[in-house]
Amino acid sequence: MATQSVLAFVGPSVNWWALLPQMILLGAALLIMLVSALAPKQTSTPFVTVTTMCAAITSYIVATGLWNDVQRDGPSSSIASAFGIDGFSIFFTMLILVALAATALLSHGYLDKEGIDAPEFHALLLCSAAGAIVMASANDLVVMFIGLEALSIGLYVMIAMHDRRQEARESAIKYFVLGAFSSAFLLYGIALTYGATGSTNLIHIRDYLGAVVFRDQHLLMAAMALLLVGLSFKVAAAPFHFWAPDVYQGAPSPVTGWMASVAKAAGFAALLRIFFAAFASHRIDWTPIVSVLAAVTLVVGAVMAILQNDVKRMLAFSSVSHAGYVLIAVQAATDQGTAAALFYLFTYTFMVLGTFAVVGAMGRDDDHPLANYAGLGRSRPVLAIGFTILLLAQAGIPTTSGFVAKFQVIAAAVNNKNYVLAGLAMITAVVGAFMYLRIVMAMYVDNEEQKSSVPSWHWSTKVVVIAMVGFTLLAGLVPQFLIEFAEDAVPILIRG
Amino acid sequence: MVAQNIFFGILAAIVAISALRMVTTRNIVHAALYLVAVLAGLGALYVLLTAEFVATTQVLVYIGAVMVLFLFGIMLTKAPLGNVMEMTGRQWPLAAVVAALLGGVTIYSLVDRFGSERLNTDGPIYRTADVSDEVFSTYIVPFEAVSVLLLAALIGAIVLARKD
Repeated sequence: MATQSVLAFVGPSVNWWALLPQMILLGAALLIMLVSALAPKQTSTPFVTVTTMCAAITSYIVATGLWNDVQRDGPSSSIASAFGIDGFSIFFTMLILVALAATALLSHGYLDKEGIDAPEFHALLLCSAAGAIVMASANDLVVMFIGLEALSIGLYVMIAMHDRRQEARESAIKYFVLGAFSSAFLLYGIALTYGATGSTNLIHIRDYLGAVVFRDQHLLMAAMALLLVGLSFKVAAAPFHFWAPDVYQGAPSPVTGWMASVAKAAGFAALLRIFFAAFASHRIDWTPIVSVLAAVTLVVGAVMAILQNDVKRMLAFSSVSHAGYVLIAVQAATDQGTAAALFYLFTYTFMVLGTFAVVGAMGRDDDHPLANYAGLGRSRPVLAIGFTILLLAQAGIPTTSGFVAKFQVIAAAVNNKNYVLAGLAMITAVVGAFMYLRIVMAMYVDNEEQKSSVPSWHWSTKVVVIAMVGFTLLAGLVPQFLIEFAEDAVPILIRG
Repeated sequence: MVAQNIFFGILAAIVAISALRMVTTRNIVHAALYLVAVLAGLGALYVLLTAEFVATTQVLVYIGAVMVLFLFGIMLTKAPLGNVMEMTGRQWPLAAVVAALLGGVTIYSLVDRFGSERLNTDGPIYRTADVSDEVFSTYIVPFEAVSVLLLAALIGAIVLARKD
């Protein structure tokens, strides 16, 4: 009997081509670890950065090929339907790879400046990126959870890597404890979802929920609530945002940029895939909860940002309010809303990475008081202009990508007849703009007492800031290509 | 069935006595070793229930890994070995009440739900081979993705712990 079952066993078919992007990243991580173990003298930071960049670029090229395949042949899923290959997963793969390239360059500058010789940093960055891609592509809740953990473990260690900085360690511990706490919520939600639907596979869950009418759906409601709480922690939505200011402030700026862009994007990818795609038939149950979450997040993000005096804390609350805008698009639960959320996340990634690149160049200390930025417009005009554009884009000023993103999100809410939320979004955008303008004013206006220490402009920072500013303006002036890109990337759960 | 019942009685007695000795002994290493006996007895009970995969996992994870961690923890924290009177905390009556409550609720809910219902013994028996078929087909992605997670955790732990 036993031999028979061994002979009868047929493994699931594997679409290796679709797995290539994350396999390249993992291969690069292993290569870095291997070379640094065999030839520790030869593994300098430039070698590691070049390896990481090559992996990111190769992976991006593969992802482009995959994108064309999916647009031509339609979405599919691979390996026992646990891994989705649709526009959505490739969209997020590309987003994560862009962020990976930018973060690798910024970390290069950071490690150079701090004199840290740690090839593990980039290896962990690569593992973290692979985890984020797995999370965004997962069609199975267990796979999603493992992707999330791989993403987070890399982040915890990257934050704490600097052994001479107490604040970074403190921030890492805080993030670790709260991250583990929120993972427990998520895991409990997954367990209850399994209890309610009999599967962890999102395709199965969608089919089951579409076909079965529950007599009482307490279990499913509890599962949804726990999943939402767990993911809200990850995307820093209020009232689950309390870790964000402290952790953003204490972490090294390149890691903060990675956390603000990729951890948030992957969290929203999971949120959209679970709620928009799998719980689609129960949208009437979860959209009200998400709209309340969006409203609270918008108000908390905008109001608390004004009250801060530290630039990194301001930006932390601004990232909270950005989560609120994306949540508005999520609560619409339409294809238009999801495309708006994707557009928002893509443009936000560029803005936030550029912003934290500048913040990283502004000083090595953990505190970034606003006064440090006084007179920057005179001492570093180009840097100041770049920073201004990025801040205005985050505020949502026309001609930048931030305006188009906010416009689309609000349009999705209006089409969904959620006028209250649309109005609230416009008001908080104005309130939030005040905070960004405060930083801009500080750079240009009060240059009476020249307090700002002239920042060191590492070449990697230059490259990243220029690229991010360029894309922000490009996507603001001719947004059509990106809008179509986002519209083609709405998640589809398909058995493959 | 008779042989199984006899063995169940023996194993249950071992588990119960070991559990009792574990909380009453005054030597921390003895307590840890009694815990090994409890966990091994539970593993044997799983074998009686024809759940050999769970039994193996029990032995590998709890006796193999968790207990070794306990013993290393005792060794590295320089906890006092030998008979120590303060081992039993002063809140032990409270702990006893909590344990009694937990046990009572568990027994009540089991009796309430199943009563004298008999387990259906004609159902399919899932063997380790079936479990491994599932792991290498339906759950192959989580199984493989965990290796990435463990790699990241391993690198991270070494990076944070080493001094250079």
